[in-house]
Amino acid sequence: MADPRRFFDDIEVGEAYESPGRTVTETDIVLFAGLSGDYNVLHTDAEFMKQSIFGERIAHGLLGLSIQAGLFTRATQAYATLAFVGLRWKFKGPIKIGDTIRLRAKVTAKKETSKPDRGLVTVERVVVNQRGEVVQEGETDLMVERRRP
Amino acid sequence: MSVLAPSRFFFEDVELHGIRETPAITVTEAHVALYSGVTGDDPPGHGAAPSLLPLCLTTGLGWRIPQPPLAVLAFMGVEWHVDAPLAVGDTIHSRSKTAVKRAMREGGVIIEERAVINQRGETVQHGKFTFLVARRPAPAAAQGDSA
Repeated sequence: MADPRRFFDDIEVGEAYESPGRTVTETDIVLFAGLSGDYNVLHTDAEFMKQSIFGERIAHGLLGLSIQAGLFTRATQAYATLAFVGLRWKFKGPIKIGDTIRLRAKVTAKKETSKPDRGLVTVERVVVNQRGEVVQEGETDLMVERRRP
Repeated sequence: MSVLAPSRFFFEDVELHGIRETPAITVTEAHVALYSGVTGDDPPGHGAAPSLLPLCLTTGLGWRIPQPPLAVLAFMGVEWHVDAPLAVGDTIHSRSKTAVKRAMREGGVIIEERAVINQRGETVQHGKFTFLVARRPAPAAAQGDSA
């Protein structure tokens, strides 16, 4: 049976994907606080946050980053990824409880490496909310397998 | 009886080039399962931890050092590099250094270099966090005092 994953050779610069939406809930934030141990008042103290510029609790920035990684797997057929190499990321606005976010991703670069069995794929990613506002954006570098000759 | 408000670490309190080392945490199957469930990111399998999990855990490790929490107004950005894979059962801690401290009109920008280190002393991930941090509020004004 053919391998359904997409290899370095199959991926083209310029191809773009859009994920389904995902509504970020209070449960997501509470679970992420418990998992990460980051109990910053921004994410956990509803009363304190009433007085803040946000007016309510907001999601951890890294929760948004992690959720978009999950949305990427639902936006396109899986890459034959060998490793996640790195990212450059900006947090542009808050994700509040009940907001629905989706991912827009685009392949911006492909680079061969010293190893003939793999290549580096750069994906530009924009996370937008239900109003079309950009809440996070950045680039990720993935090491992807090449097809065997 | 007076009640002290929880203390916070303001822009003025941050020491440029100051280094902080956190206690450690062992990465377990439970972390991987919770992370995959919350984020929807596919677990890599073969006992490997998801690539972004150590990055997420390092934010919590920072809370375990005996210092009041940084008065973060906004988490502005992160640059991150994965240097080596991490497996379930590995124990990580993080080491941070304040690389840049830049005063702004509202608060100040702190850029922190951070490395995640495993039980063998190897750096498995590293990068930079950029935060907008509040300035220490001026002492309460005299207005409202009955005197």
